[in-house]
This record gives sequence, C-alpha cells and structure tokens, in this order.
Amino acid sequence: MSAAEKTLDSTSFSHEQDREVIFQPIEFPSGLKVKNRLFRSSISGTFDDYNGHGGNARLNWEEQFARGGIGAIISSFVPVAVSGRILTRYATIDDDDKIPFWRLVGERVQAHGARFILQLSHSGRQQDMGGIENLFRTVGSSTSRKDFFHGILCHAMTRTEIKTVVNQFAQGARRAREAGLDGVELHGANGYLITQFLSSGINDRQDEYGGSVENRARFVLEIVRAIRAEVGRDFHLQMKINAVDHNDWLYPRWLPFGLGEKPGNTLDDTIAICRILEDGGKGVNAFHVSSGSTFPHPRNPPGDFPVKDALRWYDGMLSSGVRARLNDWIFNHRPSAALFRRLWIKRRGPLIEGINAQFARAIRPHVAVPVLVTGGFQHASVIAAVIRQGWCDGVTIARPLIANPDLPKILQNQNGPGPGKECTYCNKCLINDLENPLGCYELSRYDGTTFEEKYQAMLKSVMSVYSPPASARLKFAPEPSRTPAAVAVAPAAAASSPTGRVQP
Amino acid sequence: MSDSPQPINLNPDTPTEIAYRARRARRRWCIAALLVLIALYLAWWFLPSVPEEHLEIKSHFAYGSIGSDNPERGLPYWIWKVLPRMFPDYLPNPNEPGYTSFGFLHEPLADRPIGFSKRRVRGVDFVGINCAACHVSDYRESKGALPRIVLGMPAQGLDLQGFFRFLFKCASDGRFTVSAVMAEIDRETQLGTIERLMYKNLIVPGFREGVLSQKQKVAYWDKLPPNGPGRIDTFGPYAALFFNLPPSDSAGAADFPALWNQRPREGMNLHWDGNNDSVFERNYSASFGAGATPTTIDEPRLARVANWVLDAGPPPFPADKLDQKLADRGKPVYAQHCASCHDWKGEYVGKVDPIDKIGTDRNRLDSFSETLQKSMNTIGEGYPWRFTHFKKTNGYANTPLDGLWLKAPYLHNGSVPTLTDLLKPPAQRPKTFHRGYDVYDWENAGFLTNVAEENGRRYPLFDTAAQGNGNGGHAYGTQLPDEDKRALIEYLKTL
Repeated sequence: MSAAEKTLDSTSFSHEQDREVIFQPIEFPSGLKVKNRLFRSSISGTFDDYNGHGGNARLNWEEQFARGGIGAIISSFVPVAVSGRILTRYATIDDDDKIPFWRLVGERVQAHGARFILQLSHSGRQQDMGGIENLFRTVGSSTSRKDFFHGILCHAMTRTEIKTVVNQFAQGARRAREAGLDGVELHGANGYLITQFLSSGINDRQDEYGGSVENRARFVLEIVRAIRAEVGRDFHLQMKINAVDHNDWLYPRWLPFGLGEKPGNTLDDTIAICRILEDGGKGVNAFHVSSGSTFPHPRNPPGDFPVKDALRWYDGMLSSGVRARLNDWIFNHRPSAALFRRLWIKRRGPLIEGINAQFARAIRPHVAVPVLVTGGFQHASVIAAVIRQGWCDGVTIARPLIANPDLPKILQNQNGPGPGKECTYCNKCLINDLENPLGCYELSRYDGTTFEEKYQAMLKSVMSVYSPPASARLKFAPEPSRTPAAVAVAPAAAASSPTGRVQP
Repeated sequence: MSDSPQPINLNPDTPTEIAYRARRARRRWCIAALLVLIALYLAWWFLPSVPEEHLEIKSHFAYGSIGSDNPERGLPYWIWKVLPRMFPDYLPNPNEPGYTSFGFLHEPLADRPIGFSKRRVRGVDFVGINCAACHVSDYRESKGALPRIVLGMPAQGLDLQGFFRFLFKCASDGRFTVSAVMAEIDRETQLGTIERLMYKNLIVPGFREGVLSQKQKVAYWDKLPPNGPGRIDTFGPYAALFFNLPPSDSAGAADFPALWNQRPREGMNLHWDGNNDSVFERNYSASFGAGATPTTIDEPRLARVANWVLDAGPPPFPADKLDQKLADRGKPVYAQHCASCHDWKGEYVGKVDPIDKIGTDRNRLDSFSETLQKSMNTIGEGYPWRFTHFKKTNGYANTPLDGLWLKAPYLHNGSVPTLTDLLKPPAQRPKTFHRGYDVYDWENAGFLTNVAEENGRRYPLFDTAAQGNGNGGHAYGTQLPDEDKRALIEYLKTL
C-alpha cells in the first residue's frame, strides 16, 4: 500500500506530462477509439418516464459531460427488463421502443466527440424501489436470501428464468447497437444481479450456477456469449466487476443467528473470473474495476455517509425491504447514526481517490484487454500516475463530474478543481437520488456568503438538468382522429350498452 | 351459487408487507412469551407470599405453614440456616451442630427440623414454627432403640426458650455482622442478585434489630427459673410482645399439651387454667404464640391442621409392654377415683376445679391476669374471628386422659415424672429429676429421669423447689393400696 500511496502522491511529474498521459487516445480490441483516458462512470438520476422511456432531462444530463470534454460516457443504470430496475424513473432498454431515445442520447453525446457506452443492468435482489410493476412479486436472484442491507426479498432464479434474463441482456445489447451507441457495459459489480451470481458471499446455489468460480461465472459468461451471438465481435463490450467483494462489511461473519455474511470474492477469484470472461479473445473487450458487493458500500462510492440526508430521503425504502425500518431507526437516532457513520468510514479505509487502483494493478497483468478503474478520481496527478504506472488504461469518474461536469477541461489546465470546488465525497448526491434530482448537494462548494445564497446557487445547479425543458424541443403533429365529436360519442355508447360496460 | 366467481382480494399485501407482518407477529409472540416468563418469575419470587406446600396432611402438620413464617416475626431462612454454624459455642450440645441441639426433631434428608415451616415472601424465604414444633415428640423403647416420632405428642424434649435465647445471643454477638453473615450464607448457597441485595441491605440488619428488640421485651425471663425442655410460658410472652404489659411476677411455664382428639374437646375449658372454651380461638391464639400475626395467619392451612387434629389420636400403649389382666383390674379403680373428672363422659371433665381444691402450683394460674384476659379478647379486632372467649379462672381444668402415657411428666407444670410418682403423696414425689430424656419407663409410665447426659445432650435437672415448679396438689389416688395403684397405672396406660 505504501508504494501505491507514494505513487499516487507523486509530484515528480509536471502537469504537462500528466496531461499528456490523460489526454492520450485509447483503442480497445473491439475497435472502439476514445479520445482520452477519462470515462464518465455510470450514474443515474431519476430523470425519466416512470415506464422506462427516457426523458428530456436525461439528454441534458448526459450532454453536459460530453460538452465538458469527457472521453466516453458509461450510461446510467439501464435495466434490461422492468423486473430488474433499481429505482423508478430510470430509462430502460427492455423493448425496441426504447431504441429511439437511446439513439437521441448517443447522438447528442457523440456530437461532442465523446463515446457513449450503455450499461446493461439488472438489479437482482438489490431492487431498492421496484415500482408498482414489481410490487406484488419478488425479484429473481442467485439466492433466496434477502439482501442484507435493506432486507429486500428475492427468490432464486430457475434455469428458465436465467435463460430469459440472459436473453434480455443480449437483446439490450442489440438495441444499443441499433441505437448507434458505441458499446455496452455489463454491470457485474456492486451487488447487482451479475454480482449476486459471481460472489461466493451471496451465491448459495447447488446447481451448475453455484459453487466453484467457473460455476458462479457461468451466468455472466452465458450473457457474454449471447451478446456476442447477437451483436458480433466488433461491438464494444466491457465488464464492470468487483475486484474484492467485502460482502461482510455490515454484518460480519461471526454474528449469531445466521446474521453474519461471508466475505465473498477475493482478488484471486476475480482474476479467474476475468480470464473466463475474456473467453479466449471472444469475450469482453475491457474490464472496469470497482469493489464492494452492495450498493451503496463503504468502498463504493467511497466517501462519507450523510446520515441527515439518509434520514430525510431513505423513507421511500421503508416499504421495500424488511430491514429498512431498522436502518431508518439507526439513521434516526444520533448515537446509532454516529456509530453507523463511523463503521462506514472505518470499513472504507483512509484512501478515497484511487481506492481501487491497487486492484486494477493486480488484475491488469492477468488480462489481455484494457482495464479501467473507478474510485474518486479528480486530480490529474493521480490519474496520470495510475495510468503511467501501467496499473490501468483509463479511469472512470462519477461524483467529481457531478460536482464539475467540465472536469476534463479543468484537468487540461490544472491539476484539479479550484479551492472549494472539489468533490468532497460527501455522498449527498447518492442519497438525494432516492427522491430528488441527481446533482451536487454539497453547499460548501457553492458560491455565496449566506446559507440562502449558497442554497439558491445549489438549486440552480441541480435544476439546470431540466434546461432546456422538454417543451422547447417537442413538436406535435396534428392528430385528426381526436375531434370533439368523437369524444362526445363515447359516454353515450357506454350508457346504451345493456350490461353497462363499454363494448369492445 | 356454485359457479359464482371467487371473490378477488383487491388490496393484497406485498411480499415485503407479508414478511414484515410475519416478523411482527413472531416478535409479538416472543415478547408476549418473554413477558409471561418474566411475570411468572416475578410472581414466583416476589408475589407477597408463597408457602411451601405439603399435600400429605401429616407432612403438612410437620412442615406446613400456619403463617408464622412471615417477615415480621419469622426468621429469614438463610440466616436461620447458618446461625448454628456461625455460633456453635452457643448451642447446648456441641455434638449436635444444628437445631436438634435444642430438642427439635430432624428427619433424615429433610430440609429442616419438624416444626419449621417455610414461605417465600417478596422473594425471600422465611421460616417460622408451626404446631408441630411443640406438639410432636418421640420416644424410645430402650436406649438402643430408634426414636419413634409421634405427631400431636407434647414436645417433652424441646427447649424452646433455649432456642430463643440462642437467637438472642447470636444477634447480640459482635461476630454477627452483615459481612460475616453474608460470607457464611455465600458458603451455603448462591443467592440471586436481588435476593442477595435484600439480604445484605434489609434482611440481615433487620433480623438483628428485630431479635434484639424481642430480647429486650422478654428480659423478665432472666428473673425466673428457665423453662427447660418440654415447657413454655404461654401467656407471658403475649403480655410482653403483644400488649407491652409489665411482666407478671408468676412463673407461668407449663408443659406443652398434646394435640389429639380436639373434636370432643370443643366446649371444654382449654389451656391448663381453662381460660378459653373455644377450640378455634385456642388454635388461633397458639398460632399467634408461634409467630403468626392477625394479618399473616394462614387461615386455610391452619384450618387443614385444625381439621386433622379434630380426630387424630395418640398411638396405643404397646401391647407387649402391657399387663392386660392388671389393666382390667384397674378399670373399676379408674371409674371410682378418676372418671368423674377425667373420663370423656365424666361429670367434671373440661371444667375448672378451684385452685384451693386441686392444690397444685398456682404460678401458671396467676400468670394469666385479668388485664391480660381483657387484652386477649381484643385480638382480632376487625376480623370475623375476633377473640371473645378468654376468661379469668380460679383453678385448673380437668383434662381428658387420652394418650396419657405419652403426656409425661405430669401435672400442668410437668413437675411429676411418672404416673407412679403422681400416685404418691406429694411429699414423697421426686424433689429433683432430669427432664427431656426420651427413653420410656414402661414400668412407671413416664420417661426415665435418671439420665443427666447422653451423647453430649444434657437433660437439665428439674427442681420442684424453684418458682412455678411445685409438685404439690392433685393428691387423688395417693391413698390407694399399692395393688390398686399398680392396677390403676396399668389401666391408665391404655387410655
């Protein structure tokens, strides 16, 4: 660790040298070329229509990063099926009717010279708020054990269900390609469905999808192969993966009454999985390294746990999981909330920026494809260092980009955002996303000398995602069928029906 | 109707809600079960009063509660348990480390001697003495024989006053400190946290204070001759402890009576001086004497005892020790000289004969003063059983002679050791003799009186010259020919 810290703190290179490293283009084995080494990591925002159709704000949201100079954008969490969503109002890719929207997004991003990679996702048991479509059913997972953080119920998927989901991923990839997007990423990290199969801490299956690393990787390998079968080998496919699960962060293994959790995958497990997913060169074209088998997790997104915000915005979860009330109680009481926050910070460790860099360093020599790594990056010196050292090929960034959507432009000119403008890793964005527009809620970063001034500045920033509004862009064609006469007839028809029901 | 569609639940629960509800139900059951357990635990330990139960009536008589095992006048079980070990030097017999040293009878494997009941009051066990303490005794056929325990028999070997003096000595001793007592209790048992706290802070200091206050109230004991085994001053402590009356000048010590055949005794003048003709009041007043109080007296359990002693009788005199022919010859002598006063059908049985006529020691009679009599009739004010029957008499009552052979020594004050001696003119009766020995004198009907000590147990010398111990009076039959006397004695053994 000391070697890494020394390297990350290195100031032996000039900013020009750093800039050269960061803004060097990269080409993936799929042929995808990205103009620099900066990727917007997946981050969502409840900006879309409830039924999964994309909204105007999503276009504004994604475009701001492309405008800011990012090399490529990895999309929001895009469910391949409504049954696999994590929150409502996230755009999905569960049907061909979603293709036009994603095409629009791709076009707006690509217009700025950036690439757009769609993240194919499925919640599995980590379905925070499944929406009314999922209200009366439990979600499929590798296991029937409920998610331990919120207590979200689930059931172990049957082989038929697995087959269906594998195909949903493949169809999602096909739709992304048809939408003209630049590639797809499988969300195989942070506790979602693919993690639930990969993790030895979660997957308790006795069949061919559980047990050994090979068996646990079978589900995602089937997805990779199905995608390849659907989109061919020249469409970019990358895999986001946990280097280490740390599945026992909240309920350590020694707890009684079956409350304890197993730690999950080790780095060796992950390296083995990565090699499987390369599938002899026919598999994935890049790995995107993260860590932490839940979302959120002390290691992802690494930072603080804003207890007060959790108390305000966690309430929507109360009907979702059978441990949500316990969590709410913990957040609601100062001593327990303070203890929880301390545990959170302790489990994370002291390092935030580059928290996963060592993992990427460990994985990269074992794989033939480029490796991206996420985790708090916002300084040119650090980003350049990890790339220069050969630990990774690029970095992915989310929260620092929410704070400064033009971070790439900043990094062109200086080592990082100016004083008071850096991302503080407060994670208020994360918690507010449950009920409010995604944005930076850290008041300390905003201009103003009073609370009110700062708060207004924050609101302006957060609400900017709605500008320009949908009404400025929509054009309606005339609808000849909706005449006043047709409307007037309907009630009369209902009244004349002998059963009192409207006849088909 | 059969083809009507199943009603549809339009507002079902979500899986999460079902799981929540199931867990709430489980939790409620657990909490309810826990509360019930806690309540039962608390009830068992802390409800006002839970006596030790004895289903079998004889064991209830021997060990069951009559309400004297109360915090006010009973003894905290663990203190009572450890005192003999803490103060062996105060025990009369160093060879007997427990309360048997005072003549209490201890059956093998029993938790405590006969005559001690046990009750849990607000989490603390107390012992008290019951009827059996003074109304159970034993006899041995010979020195080597096993003792035979007889329920209802006067406790002729028990030095009850000695037992109380022992408590006084313990409580007055500098070694009686909270820490010393607690250390001794801790050697004996592991008290629960709460019980231990109660012992340490309330029970042990309270015990000492209570015993010392009683000691002070009966300080007059020191001015009188010791009661010795088999005797009690029934009404003196009443005056001192209940009514704070000045002590009487008389030595009121008298023999424990037997507790047999109470049904035919109803209406007779009971107690030696015949001061009460209600068996019920006699039972209750004896219970108060044992340590019950009007609020703690355990009426249903006392009623069990009272009901049993209505008809429980003495064991017959062993046939192999009896000369039946001689006894047959004694029957008419009895009819002529004894029956009018002592036979169940006798004209004067249960009636009081004036002291001047009977001529026995008058201390016991005088110890029950008129003031005390009036006070006795105030006991139980506000209760339906309030005493009303106590009266002042001028003599001693003629008692039925059931189980006479086990009632030795004779006369109210136990001043005459055997029936043979009783039929001697008063001047020829033994002046001193040892009391409390339990080997039977089959010839003379009584207990052997020539044993001063056996296995460390001392049998004190009874001096008829001491106050209250006079063996004069009741000269009936003393003038009979020896042959008639022998026949009469033989017949009296059969009663």
